[in-house]
Amino acid sequence: MRGEELKGHLDAMLLAALESGPRHGYAVIEALRQSTGGKLDLPTGTIYPALRRLEQAGLITGSWSVVAGRRRRDYELTSAGRQALSGRRADWRDFSAMVNAALEGSPWPSPA
Amino acid sequence: MAQPCLITGYLSALSAQLPAPVVAELADGLGETHLHYLRQGLDPDAAARAAVAEFGEPSLVIAGFAAVSPARRVARRLMATGPLVGACWAAALITGRAWAWPVQPAVVLLAGLVLLASIGLIVSAVAGPGYRSVVRAGLAGCAGVTALDAFLVVAVPLTAPAIGWLTSLALAASLTRLMFSARSLRWCLADAAFNLR
Repeated sequence: MRGEELKGHLDAMLLAALESGPRHGYAVIEALRQSTGGKLDLPTGTIYPALRRLEQAGLITGSWSVVAGRRRRDYELTSAGRQALSGRRADWRDFSAMVNAALEGSPWPSPA
Repeated sequence: MAQPCLITGYLSALSAQLPAPVVAELADGLGETHLHYLRQGLDPDAAARAAVAEFGEPSLVIAGFAAVSPARRVARRLMATGPLVGACWAAALITGRAWAWPVQPAVVLLAGLVLLASIGLIVSAVAGPGYRSVVRAGLAGCAGVTALDAFLVVAVPLTAPAIGWLTSLALAASLTRLMFSARSLRWCLADAAFNLR
Protein backbone atom coordinates (compact mmCIF):
# COMPACT_ATOMS: atom_id res chain seq x y z
CA MET A 1 0.00 0.00 0.00
CA ARG A 2 1.39 3.40 -0.98
CA GLY A 3 1.76 6.54 1.10
CA GLU A 4 -1.08 8.42 -0.63
CA GLU A 5 -3.55 5.67 0.23
CA LEU A 6 -2.36 5.72 3.84
CA LYS A 7 -2.85 9.46 4.23
CA GLY A 8 -4.85 10.09 7.37
CA HIS A 9 -4.39 6.57 8.71
CA LEU A 10 -0.65 6.45 9.33
CA ASP A 11 -0.87 8.17 12.72
CA ALA A 12 -3.41 5.64 14.00
CA MET A 13 -1.29 2.76 12.68
CA LEU A 14 1.78 4.12 14.45
CA LEU A 15 -0.19 4.48 17.69
CA ALA A 16 -1.43 0.90 17.31
CA ALA A 17 2.15 -0.32 16.78
CA LEU A 18 3.07 1.21 20.15
CA GLU A 19 0.05 -0.13 22.01
CA SER A 20 1.80 -3.26 23.28
CA GLY A 21 4.74 -1.35 24.74
CA PRO A 22 7.68 0.98 24.00
CA ARG A 23 9.45 0.57 20.66
CA HIS A 24 12.18 2.39 18.78
CA GLY A 25 11.61 3.68 15.23
CA TYR A 26 12.82 0.60 13.36
CA ALA A 27 10.88 -1.73 15.67
CA VAL A 28 7.73 0.32 14.98
CA ILE A 29 8.26 -0.16 11.25
CA GLU A 30 8.87 -3.90 11.71
CA ALA A 31 5.72 -4.21 13.82
CA LEU A 32 3.70 -2.43 11.12
CA ARG A 33 5.13 -4.70 8.44
CA GLN A 34 4.29 -7.80 10.45
CA SER A 35 0.80 -6.66 11.32
CA THR A 36 0.05 -5.79 7.68
CA GLY A 37 1.59 -9.00 6.30
CA GLY A 38 4.30 -6.97 4.52
CA LYS A 39 1.73 -4.93 2.53
CA LEU A 40 2.92 -1.64 3.97
CA ASP A 41 5.25 -0.04 1.45
CA LEU A 42 6.44 3.27 2.82
CA PRO A 43 9.95 4.73 2.68
CA THR A 44 11.19 3.85 6.18
CA GLY A 45 12.71 7.29 6.65
CA THR A 46 9.31 8.94 6.44
CA ILE A 47 8.08 7.14 9.57
CA TYR A 48 10.44 9.16 11.79
CA PRO A 49 8.91 12.60 11.03
CA ALA A 50 5.49 11.06 11.69
CA LEU A 51 6.72 9.84 15.10
CA ARG A 52 8.04 13.34 15.79
CA ARG A 53 4.62 14.81 14.89
CA LEU A 54 2.87 12.43 17.30
CA GLU A 55 5.36 13.32 20.02
CA GLN A 56 4.74 17.05 19.47
CA ALA A 57 1.01 16.35 19.75
CA GLY A 58 1.59 14.67 23.12
CA LEU A 59 0.27 11.30 21.90
CA ILE A 60 3.60 9.52 22.40
CA THR A 61 6.66 10.26 24.46
CA GLY A 62 10.27 9.51 23.55
CA SER A 63 13.34 8.69 25.61
CA TRP A 64 16.95 8.14 24.66
CA SER A 65 19.06 5.08 25.36
CA VAL A 66 22.37 3.77 24.03
CA VAL A 67 22.38 0.36 22.34
CA ALA A 68 25.51 -1.15 20.77
CA GLY A 69 27.16 2.28 20.85
CA ARG A 70 24.29 3.92 18.97
CA ARG A 71 21.86 6.50 20.38
CA ARG A 72 18.35 5.10 20.18
CA ARG A 73 15.03 6.83 20.76
CA ASP A 74 12.26 4.68 22.19
CA TYR A 75 8.64 5.75 22.03
CA GLU A 76 5.64 4.85 24.13
CA LEU A 77 1.99 5.84 24.17
CA THR A 78 0.84 8.51 26.57
CA SER A 79 -2.63 8.34 28.11
CA ALA A 80 -3.75 10.93 25.51
CA GLY A 81 -2.29 8.60 22.84
CA ARG A 82 -4.30 5.64 24.16
CA GLN A 83 -7.47 7.70 24.10
CA ALA A 84 -6.70 8.94 20.58
CA LEU A 85 -6.09 5.36 19.41
CA SER A 86 -9.35 4.20 20.89
CA GLY A 87 -11.18 7.07 19.14
CA ARG A 88 -9.46 6.38 15.80
CA ARG A 89 -10.41 2.70 16.04
CA ALA A 90 -14.06 3.55 16.60
CA ASP A 91 -13.99 6.04 13.70
CA TRP A 92 -12.33 3.47 11.45
CA ARG A 93 -14.93 0.80 12.29
CA ASP A 94 -17.74 3.19 11.38
CA PHE A 95 -15.98 4.37 8.23
CA SER A 96 -15.09 0.89 6.97
CA ALA A 97 -18.60 -0.40 7.73
CA MET A 98 -20.04 2.49 5.70
CA VAL A 99 -17.69 1.92 2.73
CA ASN A 100 -18.31 -1.84 2.85
CA ALA A 101 -22.03 -1.24 2.86
CA ALA A 102 -21.71 1.07 -0.16
CA LEU A 103 -19.22 -0.98 -2.19
CA GLU A 104 -19.97 -4.56 -1.29
CA GLY A 105 -23.62 -4.33 -0.34
CA SER A 106 -22.75 -5.57 3.16
CA PRO A 107 -25.48 -5.01 5.72
CA TRP A 108 -25.01 -1.92 7.88
CA PRO A 109 -24.14 -3.18 11.36
CA SER A 110 -27.03 -2.62 13.73
CA PRO A 111 -26.15 -0.82 16.97
CA ALA A 112 -25.55 -3.21 19.86
CA MET B 1 31.84 -2.81 12.21
CA ALA B 2 32.72 -0.03 9.75
CA GLN B 3 29.72 1.34 7.87
CA PRO B 4 29.71 1.11 4.08
CA CYS B 5 30.38 4.39 2.22
CA LEU B 6 26.82 4.45 0.94
CA ILE B 7 25.44 4.64 4.48
CA THR B 8 27.94 7.25 5.68
CA GLY B 9 27.21 9.31 2.56
CA TYR B 10 23.46 9.03 3.18
CA LEU B 11 23.88 10.14 6.80
CA SER B 12 26.13 13.03 5.70
CA ALA B 13 23.38 14.26 3.38
CA LEU B 14 20.95 14.18 6.32
CA SER B 15 23.46 15.86 8.68
CA ALA B 16 23.75 18.81 6.30
CA GLN B 17 20.12 19.69 7.02
CA LEU B 18 18.83 17.96 10.15
CA PRO B 19 19.75 18.45 13.85
CA ALA B 20 22.24 15.98 15.35
CA PRO B 21 19.76 14.06 17.59
CA VAL B 22 17.44 13.48 14.62
CA VAL B 23 20.35 12.21 12.54
CA ALA B 24 21.41 9.96 15.47
CA GLU B 25 17.94 8.41 15.55
CA LEU B 26 17.89 7.95 11.78
CA ALA B 27 21.40 6.44 11.91
CA ASP B 28 20.14 3.89 14.43
CA GLY B 29 17.20 3.00 12.17
CA LEU B 30 19.39 2.80 9.09
CA GLY B 31 21.88 0.64 11.01
CA GLU B 32 19.07 -1.73 12.02
CA THR B 33 17.81 -1.86 8.43
CA HIS B 34 21.34 -2.65 7.23
CA LEU B 35 21.66 -5.44 9.83
CA HIS B 36 18.30 -6.82 8.71
CA TYR B 37 19.60 -7.24 5.15
CA LEU B 38 22.95 -8.63 6.35
CA ARG B 39 21.03 -11.30 8.30
CA GLN B 40 19.22 -12.15 5.09
CA GLY B 41 22.60 -13.06 3.58
CA LEU B 42 23.39 -9.97 1.48
CA ASP B 43 27.00 -8.77 1.38
CA PRO B 44 27.66 -5.46 3.21
CA ASP B 45 27.47 -3.25 0.11
CA ALA B 46 24.32 -4.89 -1.24
CA ALA B 47 22.78 -4.69 2.24
CA ALA B 48 23.67 -0.98 2.39
CA ARG B 49 22.08 -0.39 -1.04
CA ALA B 50 18.91 -2.18 0.08
CA ALA B 51 18.81 -0.29 3.40
CA VAL B 52 19.26 3.11 1.74
CA ALA B 53 16.63 2.28 -0.90
CA GLU B 54 14.21 1.24 1.83
CA PHE B 55 14.79 4.46 3.78
CA GLY B 56 13.94 6.68 0.80
CA GLU B 57 15.67 9.69 -0.72
CA PRO B 58 17.35 11.98 1.86
CA SER B 59 15.37 14.90 0.41
CA LEU B 60 12.14 13.05 1.21
CA VAL B 61 13.18 12.46 4.83
CA ILE B 62 14.37 16.07 5.22
CA ALA B 63 11.11 17.39 3.74
CA GLY B 64 9.21 15.18 6.21
CA PHE B 65 11.00 16.76 9.17
CA ALA B 66 10.62 20.26 7.69
CA ALA B 67 6.87 19.63 7.45
CA VAL B 68 6.60 18.85 11.18
CA SER B 69 8.95 21.58 12.40
CA PRO B 70 7.33 24.08 14.79
CA ALA B 71 8.72 26.89 12.61
CA ARG B 72 6.54 25.73 9.72
CA ARG B 73 3.49 25.45 11.96
CA VAL B 74 4.06 29.00 13.18
CA ALA B 75 4.58 30.26 9.62
CA ARG B 76 1.33 28.58 8.51
CA ARG B 77 -0.62 30.27 11.26
CA LEU B 78 0.96 33.64 10.50
CA MET B 79 0.10 33.16 6.83
CA ALA B 80 -3.48 32.27 7.67
CA THR B 81 -4.02 35.23 10.02
CA GLY B 82 -1.85 37.78 8.15
CA PRO B 83 -4.46 38.87 5.58
CA LEU B 84 -7.03 39.48 8.32
CA VAL B 85 -4.68 41.60 10.46
CA GLY B 86 -3.47 43.36 7.31
CA ALA B 87 -7.03 44.13 6.24
CA CYS B 88 -7.80 45.59 9.70
CA TRP B 89 -4.76 47.87 9.47
CA ALA B 90 -5.47 48.87 5.87
CA ALA B 91 -9.02 49.88 6.81
CA ALA B 92 -7.81 51.71 9.96
CA LEU B 93 -5.01 53.60 8.16
CA ILE B 94 -7.16 54.56 5.15
CA THR B 95 -10.13 55.77 7.19
CA GLY B 96 -7.78 57.54 9.62
CA ARG B 97 -6.04 59.33 6.66
CA ALA B 98 -2.69 58.04 7.86
CA TRP B 99 -0.84 59.75 4.99
CA ALA B 100 -1.49 63.06 6.76
CA TRP B 101 0.06 61.88 10.06
CA PRO B 102 3.40 63.37 11.12
CA VAL B 103 5.58 60.34 10.32
CA GLN B 104 9.07 60.38 8.76
CA PRO B 105 9.02 58.83 5.24
CA ALA B 106 12.05 56.73 6.22
CA VAL B 107 10.03 55.10 9.02
CA VAL B 108 7.19 54.28 6.63
CA LEU B 109 9.70 52.86 4.14
CA LEU B 110 11.38 50.77 6.82
CA ALA B 111 8.04 49.39 8.05
CA GLY B 112 7.10 48.53 4.45
CA LEU B 113 10.39 46.75 3.90
CA VAL B 114 10.02 44.75 7.14
CA LEU B 115 6.48 43.80 6.08
CA LEU B 116 7.59 42.63 2.62
CA ALA B 117 10.59 40.73 4.02
CA SER B 118 8.41 39.05 6.67
CA ILE B 119 5.86 37.96 4.05
CA GLY B 120 8.67 36.54 1.89
CA LEU B 121 10.20 34.68 4.84
CA ILE B 122 6.86 33.25 5.96
CA VAL B 123 6.04 32.03 2.43
CA SER B 124 9.50 30.47 2.25
CA ALA B 125 9.00 28.75 5.64
CA VAL B 126 5.66 27.34 4.51
CA ALA B 127 6.81 26.12 1.10
CA GLY B 128 10.54 25.41 1.47
CA PRO B 129 11.76 21.80 1.44
CA GLY B 130 14.95 22.24 3.53
CA TYR B 131 14.77 21.83 7.31
CA ARG B 132 17.31 24.48 8.27
CA SER B 133 15.96 27.01 5.78
CA VAL B 134 12.40 26.44 7.06
CA VAL B 135 13.50 26.96 10.68
CA ARG B 136 15.51 30.09 9.88
CA ALA B 137 12.85 31.60 7.62
CA GLY B 138 10.07 30.77 10.10
CA LEU B 139 11.89 32.32 13.04
CA ALA B 140 12.97 35.40 11.07
CA GLY B 141 9.47 35.86 9.64
CA CYS B 142 7.95 35.55 13.11
CA ALA B 143 10.48 38.07 14.47
CA GLY B 144 9.68 40.48 11.62
CA VAL B 145 5.92 40.27 12.23
CA THR B 146 6.49 40.70 15.98
CA ALA B 147 8.61 43.81 15.39
CA LEU B 148 6.01 45.25 13.03
CA ASP B 149 3.13 44.59 15.43
CA ALA B 150 5.08 46.08 18.34
CA PHE B 151 5.86 49.15 16.22
CA LEU B 152 2.20 49.63 15.23
CA VAL B 153 0.91 49.07 18.77
CA VAL B 154 3.28 51.72 20.15
CA ALA B 155 3.50 54.21 17.28
CA VAL B 156 -0.11 54.48 16.10
CA PRO B 157 -1.67 55.57 19.43
CA LEU B 158 1.12 58.16 19.77
CA THR B 159 0.75 59.48 16.22
CA ALA B 160 -2.90 59.17 15.27
CA PRO B 161 -4.95 62.29 16.10
CA ALA B 162 -7.90 60.08 17.14
CA ILE B 163 -8.43 56.35 17.77
CA GLY B 164 -11.56 55.18 15.99
CA TRP B 165 -13.14 51.76 16.33
CA LEU B 166 -11.31 50.46 13.23
CA THR B 167 -7.97 51.47 14.72
CA SER B 168 -8.96 49.86 18.03
CA LEU B 169 -9.81 46.67 16.14
CA ALA B 170 -6.47 46.73 14.30
CA LEU B 171 -4.61 47.34 17.59
CA ALA B 172 -6.45 44.42 19.20
CA ALA B 173 -5.56 42.21 16.22
CA SER B 174 -1.88 43.15 16.50
CA LEU B 175 -1.85 42.65 20.28
CA THR B 176 -3.41 39.19 19.86
CA ARG B 177 -0.83 38.32 17.23
CA LEU B 178 1.95 39.60 19.49
CA MET B 179 0.84 37.16 22.21
CA PHE B 180 0.68 34.36 19.67
CA SER B 181 4.15 35.24 18.34
CA ALA B 182 5.61 35.16 21.86
CA ARG B 183 4.09 31.71 22.46
CA SER B 184 5.31 30.55 19.05
CA LEU B 185 8.84 31.60 19.80
CA ARG B 186 8.59 29.48 22.98
CA TRP B 187 7.56 26.41 20.91
CA CYS B 188 10.43 26.99 18.53
CA LEU B 189 12.89 27.37 21.40
CA ALA B 190 11.53 24.19 23.03
CA ASP B 191 12.13 22.39 19.73
CA ALA B 192 15.64 23.82 19.56
CA ALA B 193 16.22 22.58 23.14
CA PHE B 194 15.03 19.11 22.09
CA ASN B 195 17.47 19.19 19.21
CA LEU B 196 20.34 19.97 21.56
CA ARG B 197 19.60 16.94 23.78
